[in-house]
Amino acid sequence: MLIELSGVSKIYNQGRANEVRALTNIDLVVEQGSMVCLKGPSGSGKSTLLAIIGCIFPPTSGRAAIADRQLARLPDRFLTLHRRETIGFIFQRFNVLPELTVLDNITLPLLPLGVPPKERKERAQQLMARFGISHRAEFPAGQISGGELQRVAIARALINNQPIILADEPTAHLDTVLSWEFMEIMQQLQAAGKTIVIASHDPLVFEHPAVERTVTIKDGRLHAS
Amino acid sequence: MALKNIEKQLNILDYALSSLWRRRAKSFSILLVFAAIIFLLASFQMVTQSLSDKAKQVLAYTPEITLQKMSAGRQEAIPLAYREQLAGIFGIRRVVPRIWGYYFDEVRLANYTVMGMELENMPEGARLDASLANGKMPGPEARGWVFVGHSIKEALNLDERYTFSLFRPDLTLKAFTVSGEFSRDTDILTNDLIVMNLADARDLYGIPAGLVTDFCVYVANPKEIDTIAKKISTALPSVRVLTRPQIQKTYQVVFGWRSGFGSICLLAALAAFVILAWDKASGLSPEERREIAILKVLGWETSDILATRFWESLIVSGLACILGMTAAYIHVVYFAASLFRPVLMGWSVLRPDLHLLPRMAAGDILLILAFTVIPYLAATVIPAWRSATVPADSALGG
Repeated sequence: MLIELSGVSKIYNQGRANEVRALTNIDLVVEQGSMVCLKGPSGSGKSTLLAIIGCIFPPTSGRAAIADRQLARLPDRFLTLHRRETIGFIFQRFNVLPELTVLDNITLPLLPLGVPPKERKERAQQLMARFGISHRAEFPAGQISGGELQRVAIARALINNQPIILADEPTAHLDTVLSWEFMEIMQQLQAAGKTIVIASHDPLVFEHPAVERTVTIKDGRLHAS
Repeated sequence: MALKNIEKQLNILDYALSSLWRRRAKSFSILLVFAAIIFLLASFQMVTQSLSDKAKQVLAYTPEITLQKMSAGRQEAIPLAYREQLAGIFGIRRVVPRIWGYYFDEVRLANYTVMGMELENMPEGARLDASLANGKMPGPEARGWVFVGHSIKEALNLDERYTFSLFRPDLTLKAFTVSGEFSRDTDILTNDLIVMNLADARDLYGIPAGLVTDFCVYVANPKEIDTIAKKISTALPSVRVLTRPQIQKTYQVVFGWRSGFGSICLLAALAAFVILAWDKASGLSPEERREIAILKVLGWETSDILATRFWESLIVSGLACILGMTAAYIHVVYFAASLFRPVLMGWSVLRPDLHLLPRMAAGDILLILAFTVIPYLAATVIPAWRSATVPADSALGG
């Protein structure tokens, strides 16, 4: 298995007046090459769970192992390094930097890795060709269509060939056609061996045939479905 | 590994450049304000340095020791008879009497400095001929001749004529003929100067025979200036003894004080700018917070974001430094520091048309860098730590 969470809890501002219990006793296993959907309303804890799987912060308690590495005691710096190698993120609204070109947005994760410009460009060109956005390479990301934007976000998540793709409400701002197109691409990636976890409350996502399993989060607790 | 790190820094530098370009309006305005402050500071530094150098160079012509008679703490005329007493002091090479004063031209509302000397008695190496751009010194018997500084020539319109008149205290006119003009290189001291025969100066000011305003004393061994000055003080207790090093020091202090005063004002402006930069760097716009959060989720470390801020600040401050210092050099060399002339040139109405050539040593450049780039880097990079710790999860949804 690639992702294994056992008894994971997350408490923000622990011990303070504004303490918030975001997750309680989560057990979740995601096998390599599978596609799992985290379903739940806003504020249910989906993004917190995604952040723990994405090595953004460790859980307050419990055991979290991502790609065979225990996260609980990893210092912040190692979490970042682990995230670089393991996780590709696709955000809600895709979170591209609108003034940067499509090419520059896609290569952003490679800059702190010390990848030389030529190699960065080659890797990005391969992905842009794969997703049909090569003609937009030099366009500012703020000037391209929603469909192209989603492909830029996917290309960016794949640029370092990470084995896990995490997507946070990826279809929240897309129409049905583009949402369907997004899921088609996810299906292709899954077929290519990527492990995919999508947090969404869009039926088009969690009812998609490629989604092998949907888990529901409500008030920070997991309900298998 | 080292190569990878260099490549990483180059990538981050590349990103910092693109980041500055994306916020070009803001970056450009910071660059301009910062360059303007550096321009003012560097101009001040350069002009003070050049003036001090120039004064040092010109003061080489001043006598090694100057003697003035003091009474009730004020200067008064000194009897020529003191010359005899000075002759007995071993080590004195020559004693030249001088009448030195100011002449207020009511028509032009300008002060001229008048100096009457027995120029022919001045020792080799101290003669004024060397500082003349044209003309020559007349013989000892010649009367009514003068050497003038550049501004005197301009003020009295002496391009087309060689004669002019000045009023005696009884309002009768005394005529003079221009025999030569001082070199522009000595403008700082000779710009408003009229040099004439001692007898002519006595006549112009109505100073009785047997009195002069001071004595110029030249010594045989310049290393003995202080010793001889002490001997003179002992022999003539009512006489104020001024040595050339003391005068040089006074000039340095005067320029240093003026420059210091100006520098304090400019440093206050710099401090205000640095505080503003600090304030700006510590507060983040929602776009900046979002960008940092995205970068962190994409695998950028806090140190990478700090490095980006560092490069951005270094580029802005480096460019501002180059721009400011180049502008300062042009301002000082080609525009004779026109912005600071009222502060640095004193009260003279006939201000020298200075031709300054700053000598920028590595130490001066480092000083300017230390007062500008380093505070700016500190003011932007240190608070950037706070911004770089924006939690990565703020890029995620709820």
